[in-house]
Amino acid sequence: MPEQIIRFRWWLLLGSGLLLATITLVWWRDAQRPQPIALTPTLTGEVEYCLTCHADLAEISPSHPVESFGCVTCHGGERLALDADLAHRSMRGGGNPSDLSVAQESCGGSNCHSGSEAEDRDHIQRVMTSIQSTYAGAIANIRYSFGAQPSLVPEMGILAVQDTSLPSETGILSLIAFAPTHETNPMVQAFGANCLVCHLSVTPLEGDVYMREIGCAACHTPAAQSFPRGEIHQLTTAIPYSQCNTCHNRGNYDLGTMNFVERRDQPTRRIDDYYQPIAQFTQCEYTLDCIDCHTRSEAMGDGDIHANQSDMEYVQCQTCHGTLTELPQTKTLNAPNDIAFRLAQLNPVVDLQLGETILITEQGEPLWNTRVLADGTYELIGKATQQRFAFRPVLGSACEQNPDEQESSACHECHAVAHK
Amino acid sequence: MRPNFFHHLHPPTIPAAQSRWRYTLGAGGTAVFLGLVLLLTGALEMFYYIPTQADAALSIQTISYLVPFGGFVRNLHFWAAQMLLVVTAVHLVRVVFTGAYAPPRRFNYFLGLVLFLLAILLDFTGYILRWDQGIQWALVVGTNLVKTIPLFGMNFYRMLVGGAELGSATLIRFYAWHIFGLMLLASILLVWHLFRVRRDGGVALPPPNLRADPERISSFELVRREVLAMIFVGAALLLLSSFSPAPIALPITKLTAISGDALAPWFFLWVQEMLKWGDPFFWGIFVPLFVLVLLAIIPYFFPQPAEHEIGRWFPKSNRLAQVAVALLAIVVMALTFLAAGASNA
Repeated sequence: MPEQIIRFRWWLLLGSGLLLATITLVWWRDAQRPQPIALTPTLTGEVEYCLTCHADLAEISPSHPVESFGCVTCHGGERLALDADLAHRSMRGGGNPSDLSVAQESCGGSNCHSGSEAEDRDHIQRVMTSIQSTYAGAIANIRYSFGAQPSLVPEMGILAVQDTSLPSETGILSLIAFAPTHETNPMVQAFGANCLVCHLSVTPLEGDVYMREIGCAACHTPAAQSFPRGEIHQLTTAIPYSQCNTCHNRGNYDLGTMNFVERRDQPTRRIDDYYQPIAQFTQCEYTLDCIDCHTRSEAMGDGDIHANQSDMEYVQCQTCHGTLTELPQTKTLNAPNDIAFRLAQLNPVVDLQLGETILITEQGEPLWNTRVLADGTYELIGKATQQRFAFRPVLGSACEQNPDEQESSACHECHAVAHK
Repeated sequence: MRPNFFHHLHPPTIPAAQSRWRYTLGAGGTAVFLGLVLLLTGALEMFYYIPTQADAALSIQTISYLVPFGGFVRNLHFWAAQMLLVVTAVHLVRVVFTGAYAPPRRFNYFLGLVLFLLAILLDFTGYILRWDQGIQWALVVGTNLVKTIPLFGMNFYRMLVGGAELGSATLIRFYAWHIFGLMLLASILLVWHLFRVRRDGGVALPPPNLRADPERISSFELVRREVLAMIFVGAALLLLSSFSPAPIALPITKLTAISGDALAPWFFLWVQEMLKWGDPFFWGIFVPLFVLVLLAIIPYFFPQPAEHEIGRWFPKSNRLAQVAVALLAIVVMALTFLAAGASNA
């Protein structure tokens, strides 16, 4: 056999071996790829493959079944990509689509949480203009105090927002975005740098007690405290007081140094945990959760731009207990489309029935977790705890309080619980 | 041995010197092989690719991630295309550095140069077909360059992109050029180029009376060498495709707002670097065209290689052409590294 052919055969053997090895390698690498898991959510009708990697993720809430919503409706992202980097690159708000900068896209839409104004369902607009998100009153106070604006009427918020529900109840039509670096007064700059630590768009301070998400999830993803940030997939309307406490009752502002001074005590009793040891409280104020008394419009805003907490909070002791001369306001649920039923369905701690009578607030908001019992007393079921609480009206009791003086401080005179 | 179809494509015997690796570098043959790989993988991609603005990038995601071996086939197509440009450039440089373009091969040199240009255009149109944020900058800047051509610019632009601005007409035009117009032209010219190689007496050598080496090899040996080359290039291609995926980016959300990389494909980086120097028509169109014309006129206006020096590296007689092409290659590579380095910094 000619030498040429022998040499060729050696080279062919080497080449073929190499080719076979590379083909095996290609096949092996392809076999390593995960088997794609397809999901076609009924709301979008577009196939997505997120479950290929995220099959273990718990459903976010019973109101958002994955078969209907899928992942992309809320999170964005590349529904077809199986490369983690590309798939996640276009996600809204990183891992948190409820970040207020993208919430309108992720959570909004007329079929979802933007709803229609008339029905008071434009939650995103309400939250965007709420005090928790604008911080408008605090900014106005500081800017006014240091001569940066002529009055206490808010001009600026954390984000620029507009009151879309004209005519405006509060007269504040819009806020422009507060930019501390554009301020001339060093104290206002310091306020911007040190004190804006607990609005809905800010990354929380370091530490377990501050552990929360931002945007809608700041409140509605309460379990964030027990998980590393970003690893919890849960939304709820059963929000325990501890979630409110990731912002509230965490410390005080020192206006002299323009700093946030963290609370240092380590509470052992719930009353101390619930509130800083600076005021008096009745038993229900710390036994219940915040949301058992405070309503949606108090917490999430009413669509108008307000300045301060005092402009929003209106639920008082008398809301549930009435006065010496009047019973609290009630409403009998005769319409099946009453909003009370929808709220009760979202957090089914009570089984509301048509024809039942519940308490309502002075502004007509349903306290859907209460009911009027046959004997004229009342019952409240904890929204976060499902505990039952029985309570009575003031009318017919031994209370001697003047019906015209119903500030909570007046009730505290007799009913406050000893702090220490 | 009984010759098969592939043996018949070759002459019964050729001078051994015509097929030595160290002379030809195997570049031309490798280019043909890569062309075949591109044809096959491209045809497979056409089963899934959708040339519409809404679906183009999504169909590429489908190919890349969901079609069995789809990502692999796409990677093969990508890497074969990149290798083709490199191999074609090497082929061109080899021809100049060995004086192989001397008559009667002047016309075939020209055909080869047109094929090189077609390969670049095919690569660019294929790159645009991704229609994702990674190509957006190059698409906008590249097509805007056409507008700067005096007199005909706007008309040429409209013809190229299919209207007054980029849109679905642009994508479908680039698709048609890629899979049909340029492809057809390249296929015809490739066959012509190969035909001319044989018609001109095979790979360039001095006339028989001036040859130092009388040894000849048979078509069987030639085919064997070609098979070996294909096996090794094929293995390299498989390895590259398996470990280094073709680029992919987010779908374009708004064609006018550039959100992706502001970077041309690598083979146009040298032009991108020159665009920083000023007038876009001069640096972006005139200079590249001048380079092309310079390459085209080498066989006609530069000192001719001497007959006895053909078939070996760096003949003295056409030193000027070698120096010109070497300088050109160095400048283009330097500009490319400059642009790539600046983007990484």
